Amino acid sequence: MKIFFFIFFLIAGVLFLFSSPALATQSHGDPEGLYVHQLSHIFFVFSMGILIYWLRVRELVKEKGWKYIQYAAFFFILWTLDAFTAHLLDEQYRWVSVTRADRWYLRIDSAYSGLDIFYYIVKLDHLFCVPAMIFFYAGLKRLSQTTVSESEKRESQ
Amino acid sequence: MIISALPPGFRTWAGAVLMILFSFLSLYHIRTLNRREPGNLIWTYLLWVSYFLAGFAVSRSAGHILKQILILSEHRELWDSIQAFSGTVNTFMLILVAATTLFFERVWQVYQGILNDRQALQSAHTELLLLNENLEKRVQDRTEALAQSEKQIAQADKLASIGQFSSGIAHEINNPLGIILGYTQLLQRDEKPGSEKYEDLKTIEKHVKNCKSIVEDLLSFARSSRPVQNAVCIHECMDDVLTFIRHRSKSENIEIIKEYDRSIPKMILDEKKIKQVIINLMMNAIHAICGKGSIRIRTVYESRENRVLIRLKDTGYGIEKKNLTKIFDPFFTTKPTGEGTGLGLAVSYGIIKNHGGEILAESEMGKGTEFTIILPLTGKNAVIGECHE
Repeated sequence: MKIFFFIFFLIAGVLFLFSSPALATQSHGDPEGLYVHQLSHIFFVFSMGILIYWLRVRELVKEKGWKYIQYAAFFFILWTLDAFTAHLLDEQYRWVSVTRADRWYLRIDSAYSGLDIFYYIVKLDHLFCVPAMIFFYAGLKRLSQTTVSESEKRESQ
Repeated sequence: MIISALPPGFRTWAGAVLMILFSFLSLYHIRTLNRREPGNLIWTYLLWVSYFLAGFAVSRSAGHILKQILILSEHRELWDSIQAFSGTVNTFMLILVAATTLFFERVWQVYQGILNDRQALQSAHTELLLLNENLEKRVQDRTEALAQSEKQIAQADKLASIGQFSSGIAHEINNPLGIILGYTQLLQRDEKPGSEKYEDLKTIEKHVKNCKSIVEDLLSFARSSRPVQNAVCIHECMDDVLTFIRHRSKSENIEIIKEYDRSIPKMILDEKKIKQVIINLMMNAIHAICGKGSIRIRTVYESRENRVLIRLKDTGYGIEKKNLTKIFDPFFTTKPTGEGTGLGLAVSYGIIKNHGGEILAESEMGKGTEFTIILPLTGKNAVIGECHE
């Protein structure tokens, strides 16, 4: 038995010492972070879409709290599509670049005419994500109020 | 294109602050809700979504604010070194929110399952409590029902024995009575009408006829006579009896309420005998009411059991509990001597039994008595068509 172990470790040692570099560990270059971020936006759109689908299938949207959460999911979809487009323009394709003209002014350069204005509008992503967050808050508040009033009703019975 | 840096800067600040503010307010509400109902899976799920959304809002907004501060304070190289971490945390949070949201349906299903199980458990618990509370009463009811059914079996056995006995005697008495009646009538022919002998023979004839009638009743009770089968519409039969009773008895102050089930089909019955049963029951009811009251006659067609029920309920003085088991016995009567032979209900019992049915009585002293005749619609009483009334 011992001789078998000896032969096994001997062969393994020889293979380990005299093998050429396999380079098995994958390296992660610079643009990978951006791609991951963009994929996360796509994933986010998908999961928010699924949430809206199930909220409607289960008829939860008849309740005001869940209806607001549905609106939140919808605004989050708009926001993430907007952010995705902005990343595409300035970081992925680099068709638009923003530099500081001085302390109080910004300069937007674009590869195509009119794209700078479009980029400026796209960068107003807070107009989507803030309402989304407000709707989410309103939804939870409403669910909380409904639950409290229902449990108070139960207790009074 | 050159634009002022102030509006985008203000927008970023305001947006970032609002994002953080509302994400934490959401967190506050869901934490309150989760504390109120700690076993609720949906609140726990939304709590985690809120945690990740708050993390996302903080990472995103803090990144934006920090960027503004560092660039405005001319520390761009510092921002360049932080940017990668800020972006990574933001991406990570975005993925966490998306991944958690994706499980909504599964969580909802589990939650519904828990709710259903809880409800089933609750209803089982309630049923158990109810069962426990009512167990004693149910045992008592079942015991009473068992005792009642034992009494009914004993009653049926007793009546069957009496029937056999009566049938034997009736047959033996019927023949000599026939001979006595025959000879009496023969002797009557030789006597002058109006003479003393003639009147004596008349008296003998009258009493022999009474005896014969009693014997025939006994035979009816013993079910020895074969029924004549006709296609009968039970309501027509009952209406004939009611008309007859209205003319013959003192029942002006008695209200007769008819509730007929018009879906009852024609049945094969011995019409005369069934009429006799209804007459007996009606006469008893009128006697029991003794003045003002009501008799409710109801028919019910139970198609599933394939049978017809005839219920006669009076508002009379009722039957004492101790007498309820004896009412179908031949010669049992509570009427004063001379007013009844005590054969009416016994004969009715025999007739209904002969039709394959049952006759039951329920009574409450002071409130009245209800007789129920059950006639099956199979075999002897098979359905032969609809009644067109």
